[in-house]
Amino acid sequence: MKSISRRALTLYLLIILFLGGCGLLYFNLITNADVWSMNRANRHLYHDGALATAGDITSSDGTVLVTTENGQRKYNDNKNIRMGTLHTVGDSAGYIASGIQTSFKDELTGYTLLDGVYNLKRYGKGNDMTLTLNASICETAYKAMGKNKGTVAVMNYETGDLVCVVSTPTYDIRNKPTDINTDTTGKYDGVYMNRFFSGLYTPGSTFKIITAACAIENIPDIYNRTFECKGKVQIGEGYVICSGTHGKVNFEKALNKSCNCAFALIADELGAEKLTATAQRIGFNTQLPAVSGKIKCTTSKISLSNSAELDIGWAGIGQYTTLINPRHMLTVTSSVANGGKAVSANLVSKITSPENDTLFTSSTTEIGEYFTPETAAKLKALMRSNVKNQYGDSYFPKMEMCGKTGTAEISDDPTKKPNALFVGFSQLDSLPYAIIVVVEDTSVSISSAVPIASKVMKAVWSEYH
Amino acid sequence: MHLAKGKNVNLAIMLFALTLFQLTCIFSLYDKAAAEYRTGILITFGVYIAVEYAYFIAARAVLKRRGFEIELIAFLLTTVGLSITASVYPDRSVKQLVAVLIGIGGFIFLQWLLRDLKRVLLLRIPVAVLAVALLGATLVLAKFTNGAKNWLYIGGMSIQPSELVKVAFIFVGAATLEKLQSNRSLTKFILFAFACVGALFLMYDFGTALIFFFTFIVISFMRSGDIRTLFLVCTVALMGALLVLVFKPYVANRFMSFGHVWENFDTSGYQQTRTMIYSASGGMFGVGLGNGKLRDVFAATEDLVFGVVCEEFGMIMAGAILLSYVAMLVYSIRHSKYARSSYYAIAACAAAALMLFQATLNVFGVNDLLPLTGVTLPFVSRGGSSIMSCWMLLAFIKAVDRSTYRYGGVRQ
Repeated sequence: MKSISRRALTLYLLIILFLGGCGLLYFNLITNADVWSMNRANRHLYHDGALATAGDITSSDGTVLVTTENGQRKYNDNKNIRMGTLHTVGDSAGYIASGIQTSFKDELTGYTLLDGVYNLKRYGKGNDMTLTLNASICETAYKAMGKNKGTVAVMNYETGDLVCVVSTPTYDIRNKPTDINTDTTGKYDGVYMNRFFSGLYTPGSTFKIITAACAIENIPDIYNRTFECKGKVQIGEGYVICSGTHGKVNFEKALNKSCNCAFALIADELGAEKLTATAQRIGFNTQLPAVSGKIKCTTSKISLSNSAELDIGWAGIGQYTTLINPRHMLTVTSSVANGGKAVSANLVSKITSPENDTLFTSSTTEIGEYFTPETAAKLKALMRSNVKNQYGDSYFPKMEMCGKTGTAEISDDPTKKPNALFVGFSQLDSLPYAIIVVVEDTSVSISSAVPIASKVMKAVWSEYH
Repeated sequence: MHLAKGKNVNLAIMLFALTLFQLTCIFSLYDKAAAEYRTGILITFGVYIAVEYAYFIAARAVLKRRGFEIELIAFLLTTVGLSITASVYPDRSVKQLVAVLIGIGGFIFLQWLLRDLKRVLLLRIPVAVLAVALLGATLVLAKFTNGAKNWLYIGGMSIQPSELVKVAFIFVGAATLEKLQSNRSLTKFILFAFACVGALFLMYDFGTALIFFFTFIVISFMRSGDIRTLFLVCTVALMGALLVLVFKPYVANRFMSFGHVWENFDTSGYQQTRTMIYSASGGMFGVGLGNGKLRDVFAATEDLVFGVVCEEFGMIMAGAILLSYVAMLVYSIRHSKYARSSYYAIAACAAAALMLFQATLNVFGVNDLLPLTGVTLPFVSRGGSSIMSCWMLLAFIKAVDRSTYRYGGVRQ
């Protein structure tokens, strides 16, 4: 009898194994709960694979961008607003990965580990979200882009609040084009990608801001230098070609005219090491914090090690292998405007529960000092000079705009047109907004990107000034 | 008189809590049910609660028993199972109730039967023959249902003989102390076990075959304490299983999706992924009885019932159910030290270990921690044969506790 009860004790081993299994089961369940419950097959949340019972998404000006009606997601009645906010709001089927409806599924459906999807059962809807976006500025930006592909974004450079994010090509979510997945003409290239968050572009001359910053930091007499531009300049084994023949130019004039000869020479003098150091300090080759903590962006890349002298010359004018992400470039531009301090971008300003409790309010997160206040002030003055003396204040009346254009050659193929870029900001305290415009496959930036920036900044002025 | 240490739970308080839980379930069921089913639901639960009270009152007042932990657990688990059945299939709630009542009847009858071991010894051979005959009949008469040949249809009633044979298996397998010394008796048991497991294999009911094999190992170990022989048996069984997989590769296909359910999302991983998705949706406290979505998936109230519990009752309740099986085995182990005969100790441990093992296969199977074998969750899954067998197995656990027969005039 004794031996039997002793043998019975070995059954405790079984219990330990079972409890271990239960531990693993609950560990899996709890750590994966939000991913599993947000699965598209979950019919608590999705009807026919589309998110159906989420809360409202409203823009900062009170425009309801999407709501739930009779178990269906209903988007704003204004087609231009739908088109302009498509990529930030996202679709309910999850094609647009960086969209709010995909990246903030938990919040929108009110899912919590404690209550599961119970809130949804109780209130019939999830939490409501208010975005930092301004619907009418997005609409203006979308219309200004016309048929072009690219992106426009505007950020408050003091708070990091994004008031405009538009990515094109876009489509009307209410009448999704039937040929969107089968088209071969390229009109829907990257249509599901938010180019602002996920795009990577050759910076072209907008990179000269960074070369200039590096020069201000490392060449003490840079303001006393003059450069000779004869339309091209020999660097190392070859030539860097300029957009014009600018003759004798000083540092400021060189940036105004965007003189390739001058900046290639400056880059060559600085060398790979210093250029890389400046670029990495301002966020190249490192992932920026996700927008509103959830939307991860592509990382800007620079790599100059083992590059030939000529390549460094090209890199200094933004034409080498360097690639920038629009959100990062806007962050850099904003840091210039903000005395050198970079702030992380916000897209979500508030999340409210069905019981009207505020669950989340955005705050400003500083992500680093990209430039010293002195360097920032000098860059600001140079960029102000660009607009004042080169592009013309008429594009940005009364805004005291600072900026830099860029025309990025992306192919040796002569039929391929360049990408046009513009980055800039108003230096008025009453209008702390920075802008980036990228227009793909177009012409020089002054005739494509700058007019778009002009229209959008005027809309920002009328909304916020 | 030796009794296991520890205080008994207060019956009145526990019964009150159980009743409260049952009333919540009834309210929720009644509220959501279509008008035509409401009477059926009230009858089902009215009768069930009446039987429950009658049992406790009789045992307490008439038999003067004290420990009721095991029954409380069984009544609780049965309530969860009955609620889910009544909620998903309101038209079948009365049928399920009848099975529960038969099970409780069997539980009481077996308790009476087990009191006298002479009776048990006398019945062992006939029960063994009957069990093998029943499995043989199933093998001959049954048709394939969902890939296994384990259902018998008798006059409009469908039963799963393998469930009832589980009870017979332990009834026959557990031996008294005097029989333990005899190798012949163990050989006979091995033959019996071989017949059962073999028949289940031929029925393609691998989950149940595994449960029988596991129970066989537990019983053999408890009887002989011979680890070497058991290793030998396990090795032979493993080789046998490998042979099956080599010669009948389609058998292996049934378990192919194990560990890859998310890649086979809409095919062979359908049930597992849906179980995990909806388990997670329930959170800690569940979305409420009747509000779930897993219930629409095939076999939700049987194989996937653990997921339904997670989704509708919450992860905490589901965890309590898991701990219930542990509690039953702990109870059996602790009481086996003071058992009146080795028969009770072996039978109780085997019955509790069987249920724990079956719960393991069920719960970890639907959550992809083990291959999905399609066995039921004891006391909770819908199914008449299954619930009857669980209640009857409970009698073995109840019988190990000396206090069960304390005032009944022990004859030994």
